[in-house]
Amino acid sequence: MNVLLCLAVILFILMILIGGKKGARSFFALFLNFGVLLLAAVIMTDPKANPVILTMLACTVISGINLFYINEVNNKTKPAFLSAMITIGVLLLFIVMVTETAMIQGFGEEETEELSIFSLYIGVDFVKIGASVIIMSTIGAITDVAISITSPMRELYHHQPSISRKELFRFGISIGRDILGTNTNTMFFAFFGGYIALLIWFKDLSYSFGEVVNSKLFSAEMITILCAGIGIALVIPITSWIAAYTFVKTREKRGTS
Amino acid sequence: MRDLASKIKNMPRSVLVLSIFSVLCFAASVVFVHHNESFYEDPIAKMVKTTQVDQTERTDMHGNKDQVFTQQILAELQNGEYKGQQIRLTNEHSASGAYDQEYSPGNKVFVSIDEDAAGTKELTGTIKNAKRDESMVLIAWVFIFILLAVGGKQGLFSVISLAVNAILLSYALDVYLVTSGTSLIWICGISAVLFTMISLLLVNGFNEKTYAAIIATILGTLSSLAVTYLVMWATAEKGLRYEEMQFLTRPPQIVFMAGVLIGSLGAVMDVAITMSSSIFGLYEKNHTIPIKALKTSGMDIGKDIMGTMTNILFFAYISGSIPMLILYLKNSTPLGYTLSMNLSLELARALAGGIGIVLTIPIGLYISIFFVNRKRART
Repeated sequence: MNVLLCLAVILFILMILIGGKKGARSFFALFLNFGVLLLAAVIMTDPKANPVILTMLACTVISGINLFYINEVNNKTKPAFLSAMITIGVLLLFIVMVTETAMIQGFGEEETEELSIFSLYIGVDFVKIGASVIIMSTIGAITDVAISITSPMRELYHHQPSISRKELFRFGISIGRDILGTNTNTMFFAFFGGYIALLIWFKDLSYSFGEVVNSKLFSAEMITILCAGIGIALVIPITSWIAAYTFVKTREKRGTS
Repeated sequence: MRDLASKIKNMPRSVLVLSIFSVLCFAASVVFVHHNESFYEDPIAKMVKTTQVDQTERTDMHGNKDQVFTQQILAELQNGEYKGQQIRLTNEHSASGAYDQEYSPGNKVFVSIDEDAAGTKELTGTIKNAKRDESMVLIAWVFIFILLAVGGKQGLFSVISLAVNAILLSYALDVYLVTSGTSLIWICGISAVLFTMISLLLVNGFNEKTYAAIIATILGTLSSLAVTYLVMWATAEKGLRYEEMQFLTRPPQIVFMAGVLIGSLGAVMDVAITMSSSIFGLYEKNHTIPIKALKTSGMDIGKDIMGTMTNILFFAYISGSIPMLILYLKNSTPLGYTLSMNLSLELARALAGGIGIVLTIPIGLYISIFFVNRKRART
């Protein structure tokens, strides 16, 4: 049997054993997300498609799957969805700018051997593709933080319906601060794990510190880590504000009608 | 402005000192990277003028259309024996920029100076690499300031833990390379224990909640590694395409397993600390809470975080392959072959990490309950 299939089956069984119906839904969500990601990559091969817009669309669908399919459509997932989208939009602009000034798009010179059999003049915009890679690697964390903030905020709002918008916002920020550390940690290690081969390569070929810092691959990976951290931090105030605003607004509406 | 002044006045002393300190560090490091050319051995040139001299349309054998431009560049050397002299460079770049780069005035690059031109009035040379440290430092500061502004103390801790863990990883790899004969898995295993202790103790302090999370993290990672290893052994690693693993100077299986171990560690830690803090939180609220109630609430929390955590790992791993996928597909490679070549290792890593996450839920739950029972017996 194939390693991937075997691991997938084990994961599926474990998720059902521990998570029941929700576990099964989470497992299928992984597959749906994989499909969306692949589809986005395939459409990006068309030079006429703008990778930035495509990424925005893919992120909308993925956030929809993560928030509305695994959970449900309700007043805790709706503000989370909106905040995730706003954060991704802001972050995407920032990252396109960063990719351009740091010149980290495309492939590095360490990959030339592998690339030699390919034609590199393929007419798609690698700056934008580079930006979309960074965003896509962070989307899971961004939606996670958003939902982790809105659900305790809604609990608090239920227990104290007269709470002011400012207090709700403050509560959201304090929840966000608690999860900021663990979430950035998750991302750091996920990326470190992927970069181990590259780090050993640099050390085995005794690159100097300056060569490592200025190499395209290392810069690209560091920037991915840093942008992931920025995304996780940014989604906290945005979500807290939007959730506080929508909760208080629905209360006012209910009050007048 | 007055608002800001009063805000600064009301700040606690430690925050004020820290803010001033970080602003000073920021200024110093930015000034330094803009003037650090003399620290590099390779000659660095700063572009003064760029002119586009040629533009051709190119179609490759797969029918992909692209534009190729040629730039004539006049640059000034910033270090070394020709410091201050001008140098002529040419740069060919494509519109897509997969492996090349358009330059504009102000960009700094590493160059090699042509030997035969040395001594003559006009130097010529070729561009080797862009100088990226300036933008790297700037982005690092954006990251630090945003984390501090949003996270306060917790933000500071996560910046510190990133820095400490990165240095530790680099040091561990050094140890691995110098001492021949030690296995990478052992080195990574020992560092994983250190990573876990540093990250969790730094953020959550020395208490039973943290100890429970540390033990759960170690057991969870171990069991996920064991499952992955067993599967790889039982299936004879069928379906894993090591030949496309990049940057290999060492046996691929070992590097792959080390990646699985380190990569899933953060997510497993996250699950472990979430489980232990919620179980301890329930116990603190009600000291007589029955074990059964703790189990049910713990499982409910586990169900909630399972899906999102596996998603985080999944996207972090798979997204990096997008440029390679596009390159393969544009070079008329069949989809199935492209996927199996580029995604098999990433998918295996994501699935192994997912198994680690799910296994840590019951492990974390039972270890926290064990600690709660011990605490209860003592009081």
